[in-house]
Amino acid sequence: MSGNNVNRRDFLKILGWGGVGVAVAGCDRPTTVTLEEGKEEVVAYLQPEEYVIPGVGVWFASTCQQCPAGCAVHGRVREGRVLKMEGNPDSPINYGKLCQMGQAGLQGHYNPDRLKKPLLRKGGTLTEVSWEEAMTQLDQKVGPASGLNGERFAWFTGTVSGHQSVLLSAHLAAVGSKNHFVHEVINDAVARAVNQDMLGEAAPRYLLDQARVVLSFGADFVGTGASPVYFANTYAKFRTATPRGVLIQVEPKMTLTGGSADLWVAIRPGTEGVLALGIAKHLVSQGVDASGLPESLRTLIAGHDADKVSKITGVPPDRIARIAALLKDRSPSLVLAGASAEGHAHGYQSVAAIMLLNVLLGNVGKTIVPSGASQFPQMEAKAGNTRDLLAFADAADKKALDVVFFHGANPVYTAPAALGLAEKIKSIPFKVAFSCFPDETAMSADLVLPILSAHEDWGTHMGVYQPEQKSISIQQPLMEPLYPDTKGFGDLVLTMLKARKAAGFEGFEDYYAYLKSAFAALPDSVKGDAVSDEDFWGKTLQKGIVKVTTVGGSLSAKAVEINLPEFKEDSARPYHLVPSARLGMWDGRHANLPWLQEAPDQISKVVWTSWVEVHPQTAAKLGVKEGDFIKVASEHGAVEAQVYIYKGVHPDVIAVPMGQGHEEYGRYAKGRGVNPLKVLAPVADAKTGELALYATRVTAAHVGRRELLVKLMGNETQLGRKMVATVKADVFNRTEGGKDVA
Amino acid sequence: MKHVSEKDINEEIKWAQINTDILQSLQNPRKAYWVAVAVCIAMLACAVVAEVYQYQNGLGVADLNRPHMWGLYIATFIFWIGMSHSGTLLSAILHIVHADWRKPIYRFAEAMTTFSLMTAGFFPMIHLGRMWNLYWVIPYVTDRGIWPNFRSPLVWDAFAITTYLTSSAVFLFIGMIPDLAICRDNSTGWRKKLYSVLSLGWQGTDRQWRNFRKTYMLMACFLIPLAVSVHSIVSSDFAMSIMPGWHVTSFPPYFVAGALYSGCASIITLFIILRYFFRWEEYMTMAIHEKICKLTFAIAMVWTYLNLVEFGATWYGHDPVAKEVLISKFVGPFAPFFWAMLFFGSVLPFALAFEKSRRNLPWMFVVSLLLNVGMWLERWMIVGPTLSHAYGPESWNFLWPSIVQWAIVFGSFGWFGLLFLIFVKVVPAVSMYEVKEMVFHRRREANPELAAQFHRRITDAQSVTAKPGIEGA
Amino acid sequence: MSLNNILTNWSRYRKGAEEGGFHEYEHQWGMVVDLNKCIGCNACSVACYAENNLPVVGETRYAKSQFMSWMRIERYWDEPDIEPYQATPSANVDVWIETNPPAAKTDVKPSMPGSYAKGLLEPGGQGFEERVGVYATKGEAQDFGASFLPMMCQQCHAATCEPVCPVAATYHTPDGLNAQVYNRCIGSRYCSNNCPYRLRYFNFWSYYEDAWPEPLHMQLNPDLAVRDKGVMEKCTFCVQRIRVAKDEAKMENRKVRDGEFATACVQTCPTGALVFGDMQDPESKVSKLWRFHQVEQGKTKQNKQNKELRGYRILEGLNTDPSVMYLERVREV
Repeated sequence: MSGNNVNRRDFLKILGWGGVGVAVAGCDRPTTVTLEEGKEEVVAYLQPEEYVIPGVGVWFASTCQQCPAGCAVHGRVREGRVLKMEGNPDSPINYGKLCQMGQAGLQGHYNPDRLKKPLLRKGGTLTEVSWEEAMTQLDQKVGPASGLNGERFAWFTGTVSGHQSVLLSAHLAAVGSKNHFVHEVINDAVARAVNQDMLGEAAPRYLLDQARVVLSFGADFVGTGASPVYFANTYAKFRTATPRGVLIQVEPKMTLTGGSADLWVAIRPGTEGVLALGIAKHLVSQGVDASGLPESLRTLIAGHDADKVSKITGVPPDRIARIAALLKDRSPSLVLAGASAEGHAHGYQSVAAIMLLNVLLGNVGKTIVPSGASQFPQMEAKAGNTRDLLAFADAADKKALDVVFFHGANPVYTAPAALGLAEKIKSIPFKVAFSCFPDETAMSADLVLPILSAHEDWGTHMGVYQPEQKSISIQQPLMEPLYPDTKGFGDLVLTMLKARKAAGFEGFEDYYAYLKSAFAALPDSVKGDAVSDEDFWGKTLQKGIVKVTTVGGSLSAKAVEINLPEFKEDSARPYHLVPSARLGMWDGRHANLPWLQEAPDQISKVVWTSWVEVHPQTAAKLGVKEGDFIKVASEHGAVEAQVYIYKGVHPDVIAVPMGQGHEEYGRYAKGRGVNPLKVLAPVADAKTGELALYATRVTAAHVGRRELLVKLMGNETQLGRKMVATVKADVFNRTEGGKDVA
Repeated sequence: MKHVSEKDINEEIKWAQINTDILQSLQNPRKAYWVAVAVCIAMLACAVVAEVYQYQNGLGVADLNRPHMWGLYIATFIFWIGMSHSGTLLSAILHIVHADWRKPIYRFAEAMTTFSLMTAGFFPMIHLGRMWNLYWVIPYVTDRGIWPNFRSPLVWDAFAITTYLTSSAVFLFIGMIPDLAICRDNSTGWRKKLYSVLSLGWQGTDRQWRNFRKTYMLMACFLIPLAVSVHSIVSSDFAMSIMPGWHVTSFPPYFVAGALYSGCASIITLFIILRYFFRWEEYMTMAIHEKICKLTFAIAMVWTYLNLVEFGATWYGHDPVAKEVLISKFVGPFAPFFWAMLFFGSVLPFALAFEKSRRNLPWMFVVSLLLNVGMWLERWMIVGPTLSHAYGPESWNFLWPSIVQWAIVFGSFGWFGLLFLIFVKVVPAVSMYEVKEMVFHRRREANPELAAQFHRRITDAQSVTAKPGIEGA
Repeated sequence: MSLNNILTNWSRYRKGAEEGGFHEYEHQWGMVVDLNKCIGCNACSVACYAENNLPVVGETRYAKSQFMSWMRIERYWDEPDIEPYQATPSANVDVWIETNPPAAKTDVKPSMPGSYAKGLLEPGGQGFEERVGVYATKGEAQDFGASFLPMMCQQCHAATCEPVCPVAATYHTPDGLNAQVYNRCIGSRYCSNNCPYRLRYFNFWSYYEDAWPEPLHMQLNPDLAVRDKGVMEKCTFCVQRIRVAKDEAKMENRKVRDGEFATACVQTCPTGALVFGDMQDPESKVSKLWRFHQVEQGKTKQNKQNKELRGYRILEGLNTDPSVMYLERVREV
């Protein structure tokens, strides 16, 4: 086992996989039988050797850290190496399944470009230093003796939950700061705001499987939604129900979800709200009761007749009629709003108009139900947004910060160039990155602390989207740390807390001890049939999940005022830029995982690079063919990438996928493709202050260069062969409706 | 119309003359020869370098891919196998049908057969991913008791080609024995030793001649079905597969026709070269040239016909995918090569149909080379397009063969040339004894009186005339 | 195996299509792919990389189509006609929707001028079912989403790859699998040429040399080999998992239970579009599905009582007799 020279004392100290861990399985199969004869329970152990049986794979429970969904996983460990990730069947979120990102988590853990030693900026350049030196630096700058003004300290993280979240809050309190920036590019912050105002709950549960029709305005729920695997499963239920559910997807660029739609409708970006109102008009004219709505809204709706709407949105009137008819005939329905609807200066208004359909159709309470809160609100996920990114850029601009800690977020990469973040954060005196990888942010920090990978560290998590059964998912090490000079994130925060003498944290030797006692402290309602704390801890580690009860939760359905702006063309920049996110690369955090680089984009089938999606008509106008390099320029910059031509984009749209164009981040990501986020205009949603990702106008021009576009499909169509045959839904309902075949 | 009365060979020619004329080809080479050798070695070197590089790095360097699992190697393999058919045609088939005009030219044709087989043999090895395991294809007995898969056309190939190579080599050698004896009697030094061994103590006794004739005829009969079967079996590599454009019933005859075609074309080439460099106008006469050209033309037409049959069968048949492949040949990325093949293979041969162009040797030289280019393209057009456009639309693509493939193909010609150059300096490229027979027969035809005399003489004393080979030597 | 062993075996395994299937298998692993559930998310493909030590080949080699993804998801725009050599679909064609049972013969789709599919839909087109149907709503292909098609080795019972291998490196196991013996393979690549699905991948390079820079190599699955250059490889239905399960069952002397294990792709499929199991076991999910959809092995052309059922096998007419049944994609039109 090369690449690991930890002696046992060491890893017991840092609590590598040997520290504790409970086998859920023997013999290469996630069941609750154990190694020996598959009889007695495996309990927590301190001699790893006992569980390293040559040729026998043991499955340990943990939590996937690839996206905020927080899927529970099983890791197959054999001869001390973790080899394969599989979903944890007990998890109410992912019930034993995983997406490609979860599968590829291993390559983050074994990534050849991981940080192995602390880095300290000396004379402008980052140089390797010992932990002692790193920690003394940290102590000088942030420690109790540093005289740091808490107001001028901040944490900048991605979505955090569970006990890490608790520790962070405690640390902020101890330092005396309120600045916690939580940033995710892929988020549903605007929808949350609208839900809060209209339904009285930010994140209600959507019962996809209960709906007969789902009308989605760019909500890529099986792709880049709040919980891809969970919604993939409900999607399957929705499709196999009787009668089979109908999915209508309205968006400027075909997402993964759009790829599975029965009816995919291309719409001019930013006009989603108008279309929603147009549909509402149809529904009302079809006799759907709108009396519940305030007068102003009813007049607003009345003002959106099909022709007008069609003119603005580019959706033919008969389509609008068809959609309305489907929504009316097949009840209950569900209308969802996604990134492409949210990402505009009037995003809030559009989403409100879309959610209005749910109110109108009486879906609230049927397919949209209250989520309530878990009994441990302090552990629930702090969902990320882009508002905090703007706020952070602003603070940096005002020189309002002295010390910033970065963790689980890469703002230097994700921030639009127009924010000038890369420059502004230089003015922050002391920046610390807690990171596994040399990403853009880490490389621009003053102190880089290499932390354990998700498969080496301890933690607890709650997914951002919680299904009916809420749960806490435990993250336990699946193997010894690969590198002796890396430390657990929890351990580091705990150390700092202890340095600050924060109340309630003195007693704990390390994060593991803290977690263990925290679990011991849980109420009996959670512990279930466990006979002792030790027993409960053992069971928890074995199952990987703690089911918790839900408290409260109720939905109101009150409409909010909607005022959509006039839609105007921009002759100077005729095209809308769509920075499309995709399951796989996500927001770019997975660009350093070769498996995901080589896994083709689900729709265009392109690998290893960036491409520009162009509609055939537009391509004809620009005179470009597939593989031509095209320059997409906004006010704030330009990107050059190869053209991929297809009809899954609106003719006015130029779509460039997120994820590539890293300047750092290791051999697999660095200098590959382009990053569309860089050229975005720094427009914010008027109401919520969220960065409007889809509001940028661009020009496009052929640059004359051409290369083979590296993709999977040699020929895009079936040529009449019976490769993928299609059958009508009514036939399906007739033959398989109501039958549970297998 | 002088050429009408033109004779295949001048029967007045003295037998001693024949010996000297032919044997002078074995004399120490001139500069031109060494230049030729150098060129061939240089070409061969390209191939060797490329192959070593490929061996080190894997077949990826050849720009083979999925679906293009087979490339120029297989195409060129078929090409060389095809080339080998000419020798058999001339010596065996024409021997059996008593077309004695073949006599001055069959020797080098046979040599060509053997050498092109020796060249072809390399390509399957070069083509293999793990060439060091090539011998697994041969059904040798081991304690592991593992056998090859007798269902696989590739195994049949292995059998057919090895058999054909050995038997054609044997045939070539047997045919040379009397001439080797002559060489022995006319040479000194190492050559003497060599020929003494090779000529197997040939004395030209009556008995030896009788056995010799029998064996020769026997080998000829044995070789003909073999020659036909070899290329039919090679064709079954494709015909037995399921791929569109490959599983074609007419492939075996199509391949054999193509084989004879390229064979004859290359005979013309070599005919002209030898005639020019060794000044063998006396033996390789225009009359014979005429005959080969006509033969080639006839075969070209057969080949063309079989082409049309294939197109028609595909076009009117019910295999849409095969039809796609055909269309892709016409309009796809392979189109230029496909049309070039049809031009060289079916249009250009008409140059052989006309007296005037036929008798223009430099022109004929160029034409014969182009015909072979066409034949090579034909083989590529069989392998390439089908792989580009098979059943799964996902796998459709077109990958241009890399320099490595081209280098190895190029070098194979160097190897062949080298073997042939050595051949012409070691053994007489024209069969002396058969030419003498030919002359002898022609004399008799020309002069019945002499024939009568001859008959009387052999009834008197057999031993006198029983050694035509020695007379005048 | 001795010579007569070969002779007997090949007559046995050749039974596949001609004689209504081979029934002496101890297990017969099969799969079902429900295109109604498949969202084309790629999870299966990446899981396969993780489980089967598939090398990442990198951009330049991928560009040359020298990649090794045993499980790939093809994506088609459901348009029956296209101009030759045109990557993008032609404008505004009707979407072709199959109707079973055949509607009026007048609905037989005419062949498209200049199209590669010309003549494809003529009755009796070799290797193809006659496709009868109606034109769906006027619209463009994209209006009906994409057509995703997960393609793994179809484990044919009359496999076209098996008879052509000169050294019998690929053969049929008593489990009904289409096995590939890496150590025996000499790399003639005939099998891949003869696979109509193009699901066999060849090691054109020593991929391992740069696919797993340290410490990525620590992830390699010790249960199966890392292949070197010159060897053909393909999906094995995760034969290593099959072995473990069989050994376990043997130890506890019982039959392998349905669903007690699954291949990596099936295990991870988020929508459960993939189903794997033993078709010898009449109670397994797969056998139930095959029975329900009235698809039988060992048949070139299925004659279903209920023509509306969705089950079909890809390029079934080629008589390869695959062990993977696909269920037609469903669309509301």
